[in-house]
Amino acid sequence: MGEGLPLLPLAALSGMAGVAVLRLAWHRARRSPGLNALGWTLLVLAAILGGAAQGAWGVAVASLFAMALAFLLLAFAAGSSPPGKGRASNRRVAMLPEAGEPRRIGRRVATFLIVVAGGLLASIALGVALRAGAVAAGWSEANANAAALFAVPIAWGVLAFVLLMQERRRAQLLTLLGCAVPLLPFLITGAW
Amino acid sequence: MKLAFHSDTVKHSLSAHAAIGLLAGALLYLVCLSGTVLVLYEEWQRIEQPAAPEMDSIAPAAVQRAVEKVLASEAGETPTTHLYVHMPVAELPRATVTTDHQAVHVDADGDPVMPEENLWSEFLYALHYRLNLPTLVGITLVGALGALMVALALSGVLAHPRIFRDAFRLRARQTGGVALADWHNRLSVWSLPFSLAIAVTGAVIGLASISAYAMAQGRYGGDVERVYAPLFGEEPAEDPAPAPIPDVAAALDHMQANHPGISVTYAILHDPGTEGQHVQIVGAHPGRLIFGEYYAFDAQGNFRGTAGLADGALGQQAAASTYNLHFGNYGGLPVKLAYMIFGLALTAICATGTYIWLGKRRRRGHEEPRLLGAWHGVVWGAPAALVLTLLARALLGNEAPFTAIFWLAQLAAIAAGVLAAAPARGRTTATPSTSS
Repeated sequence: MGEGLPLLPLAALSGMAGVAVLRLAWHRARRSPGLNALGWTLLVLAAILGGAAQGAWGVAVASLFAMALAFLLLAFAAGSSPPGKGRASNRRVAMLPEAGEPRRIGRRVATFLIVVAGGLLASIALGVALRAGAVAAGWSEANANAAALFAVPIAWGVLAFVLLMQERRRAQLLTLLGCAVPLLPFLITGAW
Repeated sequence: MKLAFHSDTVKHSLSAHAAIGLLAGALLYLVCLSGTVLVLYEEWQRIEQPAAPEMDSIAPAAVQRAVEKVLASEAGETPTTHLYVHMPVAELPRATVTTDHQAVHVDADGDPVMPEENLWSEFLYALHYRLNLPTLVGITLVGALGALMVALALSGVLAHPRIFRDAFRLRARQTGGVALADWHNRLSVWSLPFSLAIAVTGAVIGLASISAYAMAQGRYGGDVERVYAPLFGEEPAEDPAPAPIPDVAAALDHMQANHPGISVTYAILHDPGTEGQHVQIVGAHPGRLIFGEYYAFDAQGNFRGTAGLADGALGQQAAASTYNLHFGNYGGLPVKLAYMIFGLALTAICATGTYIWLGKRRRRGHEEPRLLGAWHGVVWGAPAALVLTLLARALLGNEAPFTAIFWLAQLAAIAAGVLAAAPARGRTTATPSTSS
């Protein structure tokens, strides 16, 4: 742990500096690509330094410092915010029908089933295919199994988003089928 | 260069964000709230039972004595399949022996002193881990919520084209729904790394059961344990023939002599008192996200090797890191406090999301007082119900029905919110906003 210590404070400082620079950049009336780039670079540098210092633990700790400063800046923004009348965005999200619109219960249930049940099954198919493919590619069993365990929930989250972005049923079903296809060769050959 | 998404993408992202948020909002809120409180799991246990003996460390010989005494007290019962000795550590400086039948605190000499009484902490753990549902159903549901949090993070970023540009703009004292939206969006942006880490690790933990089940159906012939074996190590074959109690002290002596920088958190006896018995020592590595390394010993206390969680395959290290990264117990109290603050922010994000949606509906002319009342019941009822369970712990003791108290109080709060609302007027004729 000792040899990593000098880099860790640097990582924390870099993360906080990144947040501070972005605060400066985004507060200007006109966009500043230079400051923007510097801010993001410092944040990336914080992750690199944290990783070099203490691996994943260092990245996690460095990111906590950056987030903590951001929260402090937010607290300041909240405290110094002038009172006033505003008008929040009223963008419609179409979750419930407006007056006179049909309820479309069947359509909503179908969407739920496609996103939740279909998405989960497709994600599991992707995860199992990833595991089988990784083993076939020479990965160790530990790495292949861990990759699959991580892939299933991440894939499901991404798929849920993608499926809800698609307006047509056909596109949704094709997406689900597309996720299941990589598993087929392994199912056919029994190598899963 | 300006990164901008097509307006249709933004619009659909917002719809997706709202759909997922409304589908999972209440349960996500409960999981985030309980998770925030659960960060102090060890501290709650100390509060629950302040009289339990505490110590900085316990000698290997005392641990051996504790194991022998506890096993002797169970003579005549079905032999326990596992025996866990929780070793005193900074967060929870107590030595506790847990078997299939009991859990007792022991003193520094290894003498059992009193039964462990931490059922409120266990209730809280079960609320966060599985919403007090049966294990497989509950943990899978909570895992699904983690996956949906990933989707919420993605859709939230895409739905708000100025989300980064406005990341420090918090108009906390503006009316008309501006403040609420700003709190929701700003907290979301700056807790994004935390939220994603919590969501992914939570989803991995929660969905591991069904993922492993699916993987097991192929190469492993349906044996789920074989999916985990490459990650966490294999269980040796069982042999139920009687044998003397294993030498735990020798294993702990080995750890002190050969791994002085490793903090031993658990000694685990598998099938104690049988020929197939073996000992695992869990050692926490400072400056690592892994929960620890498994050090394997035979019944005589001879070192047999490690599982590889600390230095094995990357997959092993990643799998062993999910727990600490999720629960924030990798840097002492400062990290725990940071997790509580960010956890509270995540809880507030869940609460404000539905309020924002209800506010938009209201501004478009849809007064829904009962729905709003129900959401008030969720948001304010859940912490009140938690406080009620804590009061029950103080007044009724360890055996109070915490699960029933919490859920009844939560349901009562929702019902009260609905009933207290003005009679629903249905769709009103308020002027719809032109900006929708």
